Formats: sequence, structure tokens, C-alpha cells
Amino acid sequence: MACLHDHSCEDHDCSSDWSLYKHIDLDKVSALNEATTGTVKSVFKAWEHRLNTSGEHLESNEGDPELLVFIPFTSDVKIKSISIVGGADGTSPSKMRAFINRDGIDFSDAQSMQAIQEWDLAENMQGVLEYQTRYSKFQSVGNITLHFPDNFGGDTTKIHYIGLKGEATQLKRDVVATIVYELMPNPSDHKTRAETGGGFSHVE
Amino acid sequence: MVLEATMICIDNSEWMRNGDYSPSRFQAQADAVNLICGAKTQSNPENTVGVLIMAGKGVRVLVTPTSDLGKILACMHGLEVGGEMNLAAGIQVAQLALKHRQNKKQQQRIIVFAGSPVKHEKKMLEMIGRKLKKNSVALDIVNFGEDDEEKTEKLESLLAAVNNNDTSHIVHVPAGPNALSDVLISTPIFTGDGEGGSGFAAAAAAAAAGGVSGYDFGVDPNLDPELALALRVSMEEERARQEAAAKKAAEDTSKQGGEQQAGSQEASSQDATMTERASASTSEAENKTTDLMDDENALLQQALAMSMDEPAVGHDVKDTDMSEASVDDPELALALQLSVADSTKDQASQSEVLADQSAVSDILASLPGVDLNDPSIKDLLASMQNKSEKKNDDKSSNEEKK
Repeated sequence: MACLHDHSCEDHDCSSDWSLYKHIDLDKVSALNEATTGTVKSVFKAWEHRLNTSGEHLESNEGDPELLVFIPFTSDVKIKSISIVGGADGTSPSKMRAFINRDGIDFSDAQSMQAIQEWDLAENMQGVLEYQTRYSKFQSVGNITLHFPDNFGGDTTKIHYIGLKGEATQLKRDVVATIVYELMPNPSDHKTRAETGGGFSHVE
Repeated sequence: MVLEATMICIDNSEWMRNGDYSPSRFQAQADAVNLICGAKTQSNPENTVGVLIMAGKGVRVLVTPTSDLGKILACMHGLEVGGEMNLAAGIQVAQLALKHRQNKKQQQRIIVFAGSPVKHEKKMLEMIGRKLKKNSVALDIVNFGEDDEEKTEKLESLLAAVNNNDTSHIVHVPAGPNALSDVLISTPIFTGDGEGGSGFAAAAAAAAAGGVSGYDFGVDPNLDPELALALRVSMEEERARQEAAAKKAAEDTSKQGGEQQAGSQEASSQDATMTERASASTSEAENKTTDLMDDENALLQQALAMSMDEPAVGHDVKDTDMSEASVDDPELALALQLSVADSTKDQASQSEVLADQSAVSDILASLPGVDLNDPSIKDLLASMQNKSEKKNDDKSSNEEKK
């Protein structure tokens, strides 16, 4: 496990830093222009397995290197940095653009919108490169959309691993969790203050 | 039960005037569209469907994706046939309409009815197909109407470009005895990618296979359960009411008054249940009108029967008529009954009321525009007073005689 930090790895465990994948809502992860539906979920795994290229990976359609990955979280997170492990032979993505807290972005939206941050990626076969974020902008992230517009010349774009480093808060964003629709009002559901005691006004 | 937003692209070009699909290609297409909309909204209540036309003056969206079936059916009226179909533009506009759907969680699907020849290049269609696939939009193509190899080849290549995991389909419908909608019912366009199909589609398929015969009222209970229920209910009510009417007729010939009251109350209570059941189904208005018409027919028949059997009971016929006509309001019926009973008991009651002069003058004073001091009114009152005096004299003389 090569951690090219400028310190020795024995003191800390790198994998615990990259544990934000545990807070991803995997069921709702989706990707556009993936060759096989559902393979996008395979790129979110533990740090130890990032170089494991034998299993499933995310691949774009033939002749089209663009990829769009939508990642919702189970609670708001702060993202410090992102790591991408791409494929060999020019199938690694060369650029990455991120959008925060936007639902339902498709390719035309992604191309026309201003991203919150953009990075130029390098081929990261050893999985040691990480791309830092402008932390102040990534403070309360409910979902993040990553757009990979281009690759290093391959026919398709392959991604084996997407790692996120940061902290998870316990807060949730704007979730209207329990809505009860009433067809007819049920008085027992609507106890007034007068009935339960307290309150100053009442109707004679 | 996939949550889906669908855009249906209709071909209303000149080629749709042809009658090789009965009654005309355009009409067959419209029926198929209605059926599809129903199936989609039934399989998941949050599904939305939109419609656009590809020919005419140009590609135009008639309805943006909505779950309101009425809107969709309404917009299909008054569509004109003409112009040339623009398949590429139609699909692109449909994609745009789907992009702006309100619920982003819905899957996107386009259903295209390709009836006229396709004038676009194969390459262009493939490019469009790839764009749809990239944005994960599924495409269903209904190839009907004009039949040439080039068209079929182009549409097949379009499907190959779009198809992702068998979510897109193409159906070729040749002209023939079967209606376009019947052929479509058994295809994956209706049954939704082999999920087992919605109940609607499966039942409709069974109905189509079995033909129209064999149903009680000539209406398939599966295709239109509400209409079938309404017909069945009104049949039962008609039978029950006729029994009640027959019973009443038998009773009327033997007794009056009390029986009539009971009969009318019975009929009114029956009517209450009738109206309750009618309100449960959506064709309430139909039920009521048929009931009223049946009531009138029965009234006539009853009147005829009675007048032929017993001319002496003419008075009762009138009473029956009144009670029958007023069964909608049981209180009114009761009131009428009482008033009729009263009048039979004391025929002179009305004239006695008039004879009470003070009461009459009070009544007249309460009437607007009547001046008690008006000489004509005074004369009238005086004449009535004389009449009542005469009657009283007669009565007293009769009593004396007795």
C-alpha cells in the first residue's frame, strides 16, 4: 500500500480517512452514459480495494468518453479531497467538474452550467493522487455530481474507484420525511391547545 | 410499476388519411394513444404522459407531461391531418419536453408513431438515437402505415442506437383486420418490459382475444368496469322498482290512503338506496335519467291498467301519480299524501277557509299590491260572504231536517 505522503504511514491508517463512502446513499447513485446500468455503484469502496481492477467498474459507452456521476449522501458531508483511479491505455478521465446539491443534471445542463470547481486529472494508476477541494465551498454537501467530459484518448472512459475524504455531519438536508395525506380531517389527530391544557383563547 | 414520464409523438401527416386501418389510420392511431395513456396512468398513478404532433404546420407540443387523462383525451379532439412528418425534430422536441419534467425521479420514455415515410438519413437517426441513450431516454417505435424497406431499416437502426438493455422496443403493425390498438396491447409497449404487465393490459388483451361476444351488456367489465357496474346496478334497480310498482298496483286496487303512503315511502326509501348506489359509480347522471324515464313509462302503464280495470278508482290514480312523481323527496310525498287524505275526508274544507272572512281579509292584506279598501275587492268579499251564508243555511237546514 503505497502512500506517497511525506511522512511514514505507520502512525495513521489511510483507509479511515477515505471512509466517506460509508455515507453515500448507494441505492440512489446514478450515472449517465454508462455502458451497463448499475455499474457505477461498484466504484465506491474502501481505500484498500481501490486498485482492485478485476471486479466491476464504470465504463462509458463506445466512442463517447463523457460520464456523469450523481452521488447523494445519507447526511450532509464536508468534502476535503477527491481521488480517482481510472483505466489504462488512455481510458482515464482527464478533467473533472463538480456540482453541489443539484438534482437531475444531464449532459446539456452540465456543459452549460458553471461548475463549483474543476480539476485537470492525471493518470492515477497507483491510486496515490488526490485532488483537494476549496473546502469552504464543500461545507454542507447533500449530493455531488461529477462530470468527466474527456479522457486521455481512449475509446471509452473507465473508472475503477472514486474516493472521497472528509467529514460527515449528522445533519440532513431539507428532507420532508413524513408527510401524511388526509382525505378528511380526523378530530383526534388535531388536538388543540385548549384540549391538552394551556393556551389563553378559546371560542365561546 | 416503473415511475415514468412518457411523451407520445403522433403522426398527423397526409398519409394518415388512408383507410387501410379501420376507420382511418389517424383514427386508429388516436385510439391507440388513448389506450396507452390509460395503461400508463393506471400502472403507476404518478406516471405522466404528454402528447405532441410531428406534422401539420410543424412539430407542436399539445400537452406537456401530465397525469390528468382528461386533458390528454381533450387535446386529441379536433386534430387536423396534413403536412409532412418530421421525425428527427419530433423526437428532439420530445426529449426536451421530458428534460423539463416536474418530477426528476421519473424515467424518460418516448413513444413514436411512424406512419409516413421517413425522409431523414440513417446516420442522422443513429446520432439522435445515441443522444437519447446517453441521456438514458427509452424509445418505443410503432411502425405502421406506409411500408417500405428503407423505412423499416432506418427505424431498426434507430432502435439499435437507442436500445440500452432492452428498454426500447419497435413494433411493426401491418394493415389488416385487427385494430392497431389490439395489436399493440400484447406488445412490450403496453406490458412494460416484461414486468408481468399491468392488470389493464393483460385484461384488455384477454378481451381483445375473446372478442366482444360473451359479455352481459356488450361491455367488457375489465375495459370499463364503471360502465359495466352502472349497467348492472340499473338493471337490478329497474327489476326491483318494477316489482315494487306491481306490488303497489295490487295494493292500490284493494286499499287507499295508508297503503299508498307506505307504498310511496317504500318507493322513496328504495330511491334513497338507488341514489346511494348511483353516487358510488361515476355515471350517476346516466342512472338518474334512465330511472326517471323508466318511472314515466311505468306511470303510464299503471295509469292505463288502472283506468281499464276500475274506472271508479280514477281518484286513486291521481294520487298514485302524485306520489310516484314526487318520490325524490319523501317529505314532499308525505305532505302530498296528507293533503290528499285531508281533502278526501272533508271536501268543503277549502271553501270553509275562504268563508272565514277575517282570515281572508288578513290573507289579502298580506298580499302585495292589494288594497283592502279597493271597491272591487270589497264586492268580492261581500259576494263570498253571501255564498258562505247560503251554504251555512243549507247545512243548518239539512241538520234540522235530520
